[in-house]
Amino acid sequence: MTKLETVIQPAKFDAVKDALIEIGVEGMTVTEVRGHGRQKGHTEFYRGREYTVDLLPKVKIEMVLPDQTVDRAIQAITNAARTGKIGDGKIFLTRIDEAIRIRNDDRGENAL
Amino acid sequence: MPESPLRDRYRQESQRIQRDFEAVGSGLASLSSRTRLVDFLCLTLWEQLFSSGTGCALVALGGYGRSELFPFSDIDLLFLTEAEAGSDRMKSAVAGLCQTLWDCGLRVSPTTRTLADCGRLDQTNLEFTLSLLDCRFLAGDIALFERLHAKALPHLIARESDGLLQQLSGITQTRRQRFGNTIFHLEPNLKDGPGGLRDCQVTQWIGMVVALASGRKPDLVSVRQNGSHPEMLAALEFLSSSRCYLHYRHGRDDNTIDWDAQEAMAIRGIATGSGPLSPADWMRLYFRHAKTVHRNSSQLLGQISGKRSSLYRSFQHWRSRVSNSEFSVVDGRVYFQQAADAREASVVLRLLTFLARHGFALSPEAERRIQDAHLRLAETMPQDQYLWPHLREILTQPHAADALRAMHSLNLLTRALPELETIDLLVLRDLYHRYTVDEHTFLAIDVLHRLKAEEGSSLRPFAELMSELEQPELLFLALLLHDTGKGLEGADHVHGSAQLATAAVGRLQLSESDAATVCFLVASHLEISSTLRRRDIYDPATIRELAAKLATPERLKMLTLMTLADIKAVNPEALTPWKAENLWRLYTRTAGYFDHSADAGYLDADVSTAAIEKVIAMLPAHRSELLQFLDGLPQRYVLSHAPEEVAEHFLMAGHLDTEAGVPRPPGFGGLGCEAVQLGLRAVSDQQELTIVTTDRAGLFCTLAGTLYAWGMNITKAAAFSNRAGVVVDVFCFKDRFRTLELNPPERERFKRSVREILVGEAQLEPLLESRLKADHKPIKLTVETHLHFDEECSPRSTLLEVVTQDRPGLLHTVSSALTSENCSIEVALIDTEGPVAHDVFYITCEGKKLSAATMRAIEWALTTELAEALPSTW
Repeated sequence: MTKLETVIQPAKFDAVKDALIEIGVEGMTVTEVRGHGRQKGHTEFYRGREYTVDLLPKVKIEMVLPDQTVDRAIQAITNAARTGKIGDGKIFLTRIDEAIRIRNDDRGENAL
Repeated sequence: MPESPLRDRYRQESQRIQRDFEAVGSGLASLSSRTRLVDFLCLTLWEQLFSSGTGCALVALGGYGRSELFPFSDIDLLFLTEAEAGSDRMKSAVAGLCQTLWDCGLRVSPTTRTLADCGRLDQTNLEFTLSLLDCRFLAGDIALFERLHAKALPHLIARESDGLLQQLSGITQTRRQRFGNTIFHLEPNLKDGPGGLRDCQVTQWIGMVVALASGRKPDLVSVRQNGSHPEMLAALEFLSSSRCYLHYRHGRDDNTIDWDAQEAMAIRGIATGSGPLSPADWMRLYFRHAKTVHRNSSQLLGQISGKRSSLYRSFQHWRSRVSNSEFSVVDGRVYFQQAADAREASVVLRLLTFLARHGFALSPEAERRIQDAHLRLAETMPQDQYLWPHLREILTQPHAADALRAMHSLNLLTRALPELETIDLLVLRDLYHRYTVDEHTFLAIDVLHRLKAEEGSSLRPFAELMSELEQPELLFLALLLHDTGKGLEGADHVHGSAQLATAAVGRLQLSESDAATVCFLVASHLEISSTLRRRDIYDPATIRELAAKLATPERLKMLTLMTLADIKAVNPEALTPWKAENLWRLYTRTAGYFDHSADAGYLDADVSTAAIEKVIAMLPAHRSELLQFLDGLPQRYVLSHAPEEVAEHFLMAGHLDTEAGVPRPPGFGGLGCEAVQLGLRAVSDQQELTIVTTDRAGLFCTLAGTLYAWGMNITKAAAFSNRAGVVVDVFCFKDRFRTLELNPPERERFKRSVREILVGEAQLEPLLESRLKADHKPIKLTVETHLHFDEECSPRSTLLEVVTQDRPGLLHTVSSALTSENCSIEVALIDTEGPVAHDVFYITCEGKKLSAATMRAIEWALTTELAEALPSTW
């Protein structure tokens, strides 16, 4: 099992969610986050005052998938979230040792 | 009778009662049947287990005592004895009776008390005393029971009534607080929730306690039927039938109407008396009954008087000083001074305004008077232009939401605004929406009024934005109407809401521009949410497109606040700090775009637009002259002025010269008075001066100086010029010394002074010197000054943005510095929000953008001037 964690532009969330559902991913955890990559934000002006916007709004989606689904999920996310501009986001993968369904004690991939 | 046949008989009869309920659907009939069945069991067992002359009585308490036994409710039994010794002798018989009832599948809650015990109030067990109010004789020593029922209990109540009522009020409030003090839950608990069966019982108990305390024997039948109030009887039947169904459905004492149960009850037409309904309509029916019960019980609880501290009484007395000739306030409740006033729609509307202003609640008496007059009020409640002044007043008061709720519960709001009928108690069945649509609407209005209290939170910037609105009443009206389309057929509620809003503003006879604003807000109320969700807010194209849709900064402010309120009123967690910050960022970026794009596009005499056509429609005979007048003005000009205002400016320009509106060349000596056209009017608590004249060097600076010399504090201004060199300047200012307000002839003298100074027939400097001497006291500077030049945003001008502390003469100071550097002000957008002045100038020098040297010189001059509390150039 693999945990897939992706940080994307908020405007792409609907498209990414729909793409994941289409390939059969039904369980996911979504968090509203802020962050920046190498570009580190920018300055803006409001009423004559300059201020720095260094943490931009992003959406983080986490899901644990059977290994055979991971590549398709990566492809779905990439296709849906990519604009080609800086700030598109990233995908991280980590190995999961065990998963347990609290309701009925299902384990392993059966718990996903 | 042997135990097993008893159990079998109980099971068969229970099934029969359930079948009868499913066939007929009457909850009260089912409760009565179950009560008789359990009575039969208890009496049978009593005869078997208790010998005669035991000196004990078997008494039914609580719901069982009321003969309201729900399928899986507990059986509350009291074994009443004369003395402790009696209870010891009966132990095995009591255990046997209870055990057999348990074996039958009933949940028994037995208690054994002596008569003396029952005559004392146990402060730690108020529920027992309350359950005694419903006591009913089952078997045994009837004389003993009568001593409880006719003597001990009435004496107890008479002695402890005040404390009992206070405690009953306290536990009711505690119970309601567990449910957020609202009846509007998507999955309500119809027993313990506000407006549920427990509230019905509370009204019964209050009635019984009050009757017993006054020495009267309560009419148990009428009290148990909540008096002669038919709405309460209908509510009791509805709630009882619904609870019966839930018990049978869940197979236990579970009183939550979950989503699945709502669908099932709607399909089966449970408690409707009219057959199947949609789940939304069934829930509407539930809320209607819950409202009745909640209102009824709240009225009674509000009447409970008790001992209060002298401090509280003093506070209440202070609040009652707001009483006037029409309404009096006692203990936080509003009464009519004259009972007959409740029949007058205008008085009732003023009452609602009073509630909205002060935050009081209606007294039960005032509510009853209004309800009694509902037929007459239904006929006389205005719906047209006579309604709008009252509605405007209500909407803009701090407690508007509460007043609107009161108006709604009295069925007056839908009478005044029939468009709201579509959303009355309308449930949106999804996990996101916590409230009914009407409650969501009131909450949204309340969100904006409570923004002031958000000091220190992430919503504080929005509170400042709220205070900047020119016409907040239009925003509140738009909020009131924004979701009315949800009650119409069709998936797109925005379109439906827009249609209903158009009808409403037409009937209220708002001005064309005000009506257009309200309709625009309703039709666009999801625009910003959609942009936040679907677009990159840091993409300039996103901002550009949004600004094009919104057209003006004022609409941007209104729609931003509307979006905030709409989200926050969905459920308490909907507006996360993340969303609030994104909304604010989108607002600031778009507001900045408006400031930095004022001259992005110019009107062309050969090209008409929708906005221009609206003006032409007012003056069809002057189409070509009008297009000539507009030629070269920024598009921002027609977007930020109503068509009536543009038409007025055009007519003023037409009077500039007798020769068909062609202005005299600038610099021509001794310009005649017709070279300056002025308009002066009062707007809200300020004055608005409109000047249409030919452009000339230092014009804006001279105007600003003249206004300052007269003691006026400029709060807003906008200056535009067309290709022919005709200038349209509009200044909004506060008359610091109320010169114009208190001395009407001064208005003409003021206008004459402005005209004479502009045409060179009078000097400005002596007036300025006098003003300077009068304003000798330096002000404390608390706002930091920021200057920002932008050379990219305009193709032909340099933008200068000045943010500094507002002070008298500020605009003259700034514009003087620009004039000193030979700069021309092409466009000026002046705004003041509290102590902060925010001025945006589009400047040219000799027809071109500013050089770096000129910008440095201006920056140096302004930095020096604005660092002083008083202008140093004088």
